[in-house]
Amino acid sequence: MSKHPVVQWIDRRFPFTAFFKHELTEYKVPRNLSYWWNFGFLAGFVLVLQVVSGVFLAMHYKPDAQLAFASIEHIMRDVNYGWLLRYMHSTGASAFFVVIYIHMARTLYYGSFRAPRELMWWSGQVLLLTLMATAFMGYLLPWGQMSYWGAQVITNLFRATPFIGDQVVVWLRGDFVVGDATLNRFFVLHFFFPFLIFGIVGLHLVALHFVRSSNPSGINLKDEDNISLHPYFTFKDLFGLGIFLLIFCGFVFFYPDFFIEPDNNIPADPLKTPPHITPEWYFLPFYAILRAIPDMLGGVVAMTLSILVFAAMPYLDRSQIPGGSRYRPFYRAMFWAFVVDLSVLTYVGAQPATDEMALVGRIATIIYFSLFMVLPIISKREEAWLFVRGLPQEVMAMIAGEKESDRRKRSMDRRKTERRQGEE
Amino acid sequence: MKKIISLTGGLLISLTALASETPPLLDVELQHDTATLRQGADVVLNVCAGCHSLHYLKYRDLLEVGFTQAEVDGLRGQLEVTATIAAMSPPDMLKETYGVVPPDLSLIAKARKGGGRYVYTLFNSFYQRPDGTVDNHLFPNIRMPDVLGVASMTDPAQKKEFQESMRKVAAFLEWAADPNAAERRGMGVYVLIYLFIITLLFWLMKRRIWSDVH
Amino acid sequence: MSDDDKVQDPQRRDFLGKATAVVGGAGVAASCWPLISSMNPATDVLSKATTEVSLGAIAQGDAKTVSWQGKPVFIVHRTESQIRSMNNSPGGKDPQPDGERVLRPEWLVIVGVCTHLGCVPNRTAEGWTCPCHGSQYDLSGRILKGPAPRNLELPPYQFIADDKIIIGKA
Repeated sequence: MSKHPVVQWIDRRFPFTAFFKHELTEYKVPRNLSYWWNFGFLAGFVLVLQVVSGVFLAMHYKPDAQLAFASIEHIMRDVNYGWLLRYMHSTGASAFFVVIYIHMARTLYYGSFRAPRELMWWSGQVLLLTLMATAFMGYLLPWGQMSYWGAQVITNLFRATPFIGDQVVVWLRGDFVVGDATLNRFFVLHFFFPFLIFGIVGLHLVALHFVRSSNPSGINLKDEDNISLHPYFTFKDLFGLGIFLLIFCGFVFFYPDFFIEPDNNIPADPLKTPPHITPEWYFLPFYAILRAIPDMLGGVVAMTLSILVFAAMPYLDRSQIPGGSRYRPFYRAMFWAFVVDLSVLTYVGAQPATDEMALVGRIATIIYFSLFMVLPIISKREEAWLFVRGLPQEVMAMIAGEKESDRRKRSMDRRKTERRQGEE
Repeated sequence: MKKIISLTGGLLISLTALASETPPLLDVELQHDTATLRQGADVVLNVCAGCHSLHYLKYRDLLEVGFTQAEVDGLRGQLEVTATIAAMSPPDMLKETYGVVPPDLSLIAKARKGGGRYVYTLFNSFYQRPDGTVDNHLFPNIRMPDVLGVASMTDPAQKKEFQESMRKVAAFLEWAADPNAAERRGMGVYVLIYLFIITLLFWLMKRRIWSDVH
Repeated sequence: MSDDDKVQDPQRRDFLGKATAVVGGAGVAASCWPLISSMNPATDVLSKATTEVSLGAIAQGDAKTVSWQGKPVFIVHRTESQIRSMNNSPGGKDPQPDGERVLRPEWLVIVGVCTHLGCVPNRTAEGWTCPCHGSQYDLSGRILKGPAPRNLELPPYQFIADDKIIIGKA
């Protein structure tokens, strides 16, 4: 096929065609990926959607405590299609977390975080934290009652910092309470963080194209069972995108206030806390963990750990058996127990803080952390049990292969060190 | 593991039952046609706006609910068409009388769970206590007086007329909180139809591309 | 389906592929419209497109500057002698009879933006002089001297009462 002269001109100076070949038409993907593998692409799409709607919203928004709330109403009522931009952005925030949480659940369920994909898992973890920070700061911008008191409470968490807690809180806010200075810096950071997110997404993708996609079988497929990303998976992703957009636009056009708390339609009042404040749904489980612990520092530590603990998964799961839940009934049961436990925590986080709720929250918090803590033991025991009970041949072959290459690498290392010692 | 699942599952069910119940909102059907909105607007502007502002609504917005330019000009007097609708009484005086500045009404339907139904229910929830004082079931110790005298209303015809009028008020306040709702839903229908078609096309493409795999 | 019937083969684009491309492309294009449209003036800006001015307070020989769509508009209550001298003059390099530039001879309504590079001319006894490059206009807003190519622009306006005009609506 002859190339367009412009493409030829570029190709002599920049790997244009080569890039698309390498990353799209000749990039190989396991053919057996299920639709659960669509969510990475969807996350990228929602990121773009948020950035585009956000940039156009920023053209009309005013990060000023006196003007912010009114400028949102200006966008909603006066700006051409302003309501569409705003509802896309507010619904998009929730959609982002839905997609990311499903993406993470798939990774956990199929054990995709295991070697050699630890860096993907960790860059994903950093992305989650950055996304949470971005969402939290963005939520202050409408300057409604929920925005204001959410930011007040969450920034107050930093009072748990040893020795300099109070100063840290004031430094974060630039004021003694959440105020104009806070709003202004949150706006700037809310605009800036997506640049970081784009950068980390780049790393995430480079790592992905290096280690390749995991697949539901857990074992590495033969070459002929890997097919090119384009057109096979591009069109599978586009079909998934269509389904996603149908649901997303259903919310945007017909239930746009579903994700907006009624109290956030009341302008921020620093002198009056709404009777019942809750964070956005995507923070509820972590908020429940925070409240489950009566000690302030303890609560903050537990909440932070509850998010960071995911990073330890590649080490907590000590089983050699690949494929996550596929061949491992105990791991699968633990996964579902975790999902149920998260749902309980989400529910508790949304309820007013009563004694019963605190008790339920505490039990669910204990279960949350115990599931991670018992995983090393259970995964090892389960492995032994499954070896006795028997596993499919391919799985055993893969484990043997990994051991073999592991052994060879180790003996090579040993020989190297011996040689070095000999030279000395 | 199974035990944990059944335990947490059981807890979830019992928790749902524990959830506190607010008094249920009345089930009312609100129409948003121009005539209804116009009549609701008349009540809001003549009665409610005595104490409540409609800060995010501008005089010119009234053109959309059937006011003529001349009527709007009459309402605004010397004010610009882009001026927002303020309460007739000054906020300071209201605060002195009631202890609070009455809430702005332009977003009230969005700021309360249930929207227009909340507004409608609130008006129907005034009642007279045995000692003759008036209170509200939905909002105990509400500071707004029973302006229209619902609590002491006995004539069923009068009550019906009142409810009809409140329905229009609730509809107007829903419109005031979300004036683009009709445009949004209308556009949404076309968007969903389009998305349905393109999703179908993507699915057909995907199916054909994948027909040589397996 | 024959072997060569593949979408990745650009030589063999079929109906389904074309339809998907057209429908998808149309969707992307259409979804750009709200973004572009959002950058146009919002309705509250548009509703300021007209300005009402009462003329009662402007005495003969006096002028008033009002803001219309953010631009200065000069309103001059001209005297009999000013009207007469303007009627007798054909204008400068962009000749136009005074009668075509006013609705009522005693009221001159012009946009106070120099047609050269957009500065606001200063009032002088004989008309206006632009501070930027010295363009001179007469009391009909016609260019007499200087680099400006055209007479000062006339905004659309109408009398809604004897002492009230609305600018922005012809």
